[in-house]
Amino acid sequence: MFAVLRIPGFALQAILRVEPAALASQPVVLLAEGRRGATVALCNDAAQAAGVRPGHSVPRAQAHCPNLVVRTAQPALEQEAETALLAAGFSITPQVELTAPGVCTLGLEHLPSHRRAPAVDRALGELAALRLHATAGFAATPLLALYAARCAAPGRVVTGDRAFLAPLPIATAEPPADLAPILTAWGIHTLGQLTALPKSDVAQRLGREGLALWERAAGATIRPLNVVAPSRDFVATYACEHEMETLEPLLFILRRFVDRLALELRNAHQAALAVELELNLADDTRHTRSIRLPEPVTNPELLFRALQTHLETVRTAAPIVGVQLRLEPGRSQVRQQGLFDGGLRDPHGFADTLARVMALVGSDRVGRPMSLNTHRPDAFTLEAPPPALAPLPDGFTHPPRGLALRRFRPPAPAKVELDGRTPAYVWTAEGEGAVVATAGPWHSSGEWWEAYRHWQHEEWDVEFAAGGFYRLRREPTGWLLEGEYD
Amino acid sequence: MSSSASLPALRQLLLERFPSAVRSSGAALATGIPAIDEHTGGLPRPGLTEAVCTAPSCGSQLFLGQVLHSTRAQALRVALVDAGDAFDPGSWPGSLLEHLVWVRARHAAEAMAAADLLTRDSNLSLVVLDLRHAARADLRRIPATQWYRLQRAIEPATLACLVFTPTTVVPCAQLRLELSHSHRLATQSSERPRLGQDLAPTFLRQRSTNLAAAS
Repeated sequence: MFAVLRIPGFALQAILRVEPAALASQPVVLLAEGRRGATVALCNDAAQAAGVRPGHSVPRAQAHCPNLVVRTAQPALEQEAETALLAAGFSITPQVELTAPGVCTLGLEHLPSHRRAPAVDRALGELAALRLHATAGFAATPLLALYAARCAAPGRVVTGDRAFLAPLPIATAEPPADLAPILTAWGIHTLGQLTALPKSDVAQRLGREGLALWERAAGATIRPLNVVAPSRDFVATYACEHEMETLEPLLFILRRFVDRLALELRNAHQAALAVELELNLADDTRHTRSIRLPEPVTNPELLFRALQTHLETVRTAAPIVGVQLRLEPGRSQVRQQGLFDGGLRDPHGFADTLARVMALVGSDRVGRPMSLNTHRPDAFTLEAPPPALAPLPDGFTHPPRGLALRRFRPPAPAKVELDGRTPAYVWTAEGEGAVVATAGPWHSSGEWWEAYRHWQHEEWDVEFAAGGFYRLRREPTGWLLEGEYD
Repeated sequence: MSSSASLPALRQLLLERFPSAVRSSGAALATGIPAIDEHTGGLPRPGLTEAVCTAPSCGSQLFLGQVLHSTRAQALRVALVDAGDAFDPGSWPGSLLEHLVWVRARHAAEAMAAADLLTRDSNLSLVVLDLRHAARADLRRIPATQWYRLQRAIEPATLACLVFTPTTVVPCAQLRLELSHSHRLATQSSERPRLGQDLAPTFLRQRSTNLAAAS
């Protein structure tokens, strides 16, 4: 058993899927260069309703339909649509043949019969989500399945058999131009009428071409499929016809990419670990960004949200002329949440929120604080929050003592009057005060082996008469008020 | 009817006529400070709590430390939006900060915008907004509507929001506390958890969002 997925008007659909949806309801034609200049190669339903037909010249088509939208073929978009068609095919079976542009044939012999129709329906749904409206046909031979797909309405599946084949017009079998008038003269208008004639008599009268036509009309030949290998590189590329200056058209293209790549990932039973975006700019520079995802994902909504959050903060120096999106594949995470573990409820939502906050305050100013392994004052780093929290230890070996420090960043320069070696009065830009109690000094130094990183200071805790106590730091250059104990 | 008698009657009437409009309050978030937990059950969820710090060394970081310990023990996520960039990670054991996201804002307006984003995240249980050292002029420039917006953002979630301020600035605070007692230098020799448990803030305001409970 074979199935065929077919996208009618493939080259035109490949273009319309990356255009605003409103364009699909307008009359649109695709031009092809011929001997007599550019002629209409494909037209959508709206153009056909206005009287435009394939083969019309542009002036003639515009005479039928003054508001006609004209497009020319874009091989890159056709390639993208073809990849999407193959991805839909691979969601059913690994035996997929790219038979012609916009047509792929699937070998279904290994798929149980009761699962074939739902699988093909699902694939049509996947293509519709990718804005490609396809038809499908089932039959015992690839050719018969193709005929069935040609006869099916968009989004519908037709099963081809002998009875289905008989009333189809002879044009379905694509007779050679010199044989068509002969058959018409014989009164043969359908495939059934042709196959009713003895095969040997047709071969005797019409030669090799007639024999091939009879076999095509019978549709009984089973041929081996020229199977395509599924892609292991999850990349989508687009060279823009017009420069993009705003976010909206870029997001529109990326949404198509993400949907297709997510489908390919699901087919390969893999998930995206990271999203790598590359924007080619008109000034020959590039904007690249790798977004590591909080956990492997195949959901296109989550992938797109990560991209959108990043792009909302991007300002490029020049318009965008090309886009490349690559998903780094990896194994899906299979982990059962523990009843008491502190995992995130929505890891992607959390990553999205942090990305928005980072866009606001800066990426180096958000994260989980971690002290560095040094006695240098105020030495810390900010790390990404952990996906799950380890249980809190029962007690601390050295429980913290006293009030925690509330730092002044940078420390406030201070002028200190000493009583012997002890601070007695402090002046800063913010205020001044008499010291009523002190603790210290505590001497500290480190990294003396580094020419520019060595440090040495003494620290005092001082309580002011007006209330509150603070940390003072004495450095070779002077005194600093480091913070308030709070 | 006196005003004190008419208010519960009005609440009861509202409860009967508009039952869907009544917001049910979630379980309060324990702070680990007995004076608060025994009085109110903890920080209201959903709700805004304002801790007004009117004296130097009044223990706002101590308060924060107790809340961090309590939330860490419950494996809840916390965000600290630090308008003064004053938090000192070196003052705390590393394991106590594992659940914390620290946002080092540059000024009050940036901190408010960051808090607005964070309060909408379903992963967080507490957002702490530290405006203790924010410039008074900056605080005055925050319109009241922005606080109400923050309150509205919190309401659909089971989130507590704790705001440290130098003076009363949050008009819609459900719970308002005051830390007005300065600690002495001698307290530096005491264990911090004990100091935290001894904190005794003054209750300036306590509102209930639950009409039934209030009535």
